[in-house]
Amino acid sequence: MSTPEPLLQGLERVGGTLPAALPALTFRPTHAQVFMFSAATWNRHHIHYSDEAARAEGHTGVVVQRGLIGNFLARMLTRWLEGRGEIRGLSWKVVKSARPGDELSCRGELTSMVVRDQARLYVCALRVVDSRDLLLAEGTAELELD
Amino acid sequence: MFDKDGDLAVAAERIAQPSRPDDFVTVIGTRRKRKSLVTARDIRRFAQAIGEPLPPPVDDDDSGVLAPPLFCQTLSYDELPVELLPPDGSPAELDVPVPAKRLVGGASEFKLHRRVRAGELLTVETELKDVQKKMGKSGVLYLLIIETRIADATGRPVSTETATYVKRP
Repeated sequence: MSTPEPLLQGLERVGGTLPAALPALTFRPTHAQVFMFSAATWNRHHIHYSDEAARAEGHTGVVVQRGLIGNFLARMLTRWLEGRGEIRGLSWKVVKSARPGDELSCRGELTSMVVRDQARLYVCALRVVDSRDLLLAEGTAELELD
Repeated sequence: MFDKDGDLAVAAERIAQPSRPDDFVTVIGTRRKRKSLVTARDIRRFAQAIGEPLPPPVDDDDSGVLAPPLFCQTLSYDELPVELLPPDGSPAELDVPVPAKRLVGGASEFKLHRRVRAGELLTVETELKDVQKKMGKSGVLYLLIIETRIADATGRPVSTETATYVKRP
């Protein structure tokens, strides 16, 4: 069965059919990056800069911000988009805390297409896993392709 | 510390008061609203923080530089002095009177209407949408649901984030 024509538009780089995996992108946030992200967002919560305070709250050390993990997912998506589209929706849920120095692999798979407000949006299932392939975060994005 | 009247003195007093299990019901729906002028420096610093530095400005003209998709995260928290934050330094927007102290971010849901550019004057409105008491694996926990709506100078929406935070005793 052939793929419906609308699904082909903009998907040439992933074979033109769904589902389609996007190129994964791996990050290793440093203490300095976590610090800079707290500064840029004016988030002064002590679990993001003090190992001692984070351990006192049951963590194994400084915690990578939920927001920074979301930006890693966004970077993976915008790298694939290459300026030929925009992220219209992005949601993610952290299921396991990450620490500076952890390897975070961001993965995405285009699974379907929906039409909303006359825009065609490609739905992308998202996962962030660590070096042992344990799930750290999962979510969904909606991408509008030019 | 959410305060319906935006009165920091009242809010600071609330910090000192012991939490009762049902205190949070009274603060659901609390809103804070402010304006924020986005500068190119804000955008460049955010881009560097997420590990994706922007290219240098052309002809030293940095006006109108385009922000990364989730730049609006920088506008979520108010610029309160540290003395008005909870003891753990967590954002005042999350200082809801529940009998729990340990806070961690849980989930985010962004609707992104368009990117932000340097020079824009944005309106930022946060609202405590709900507080839910749940039973987790390690006991009772509270979910704080905060919505942050950002609009441009004409009132058109730029982005909306619904964030869920987890607070445990």
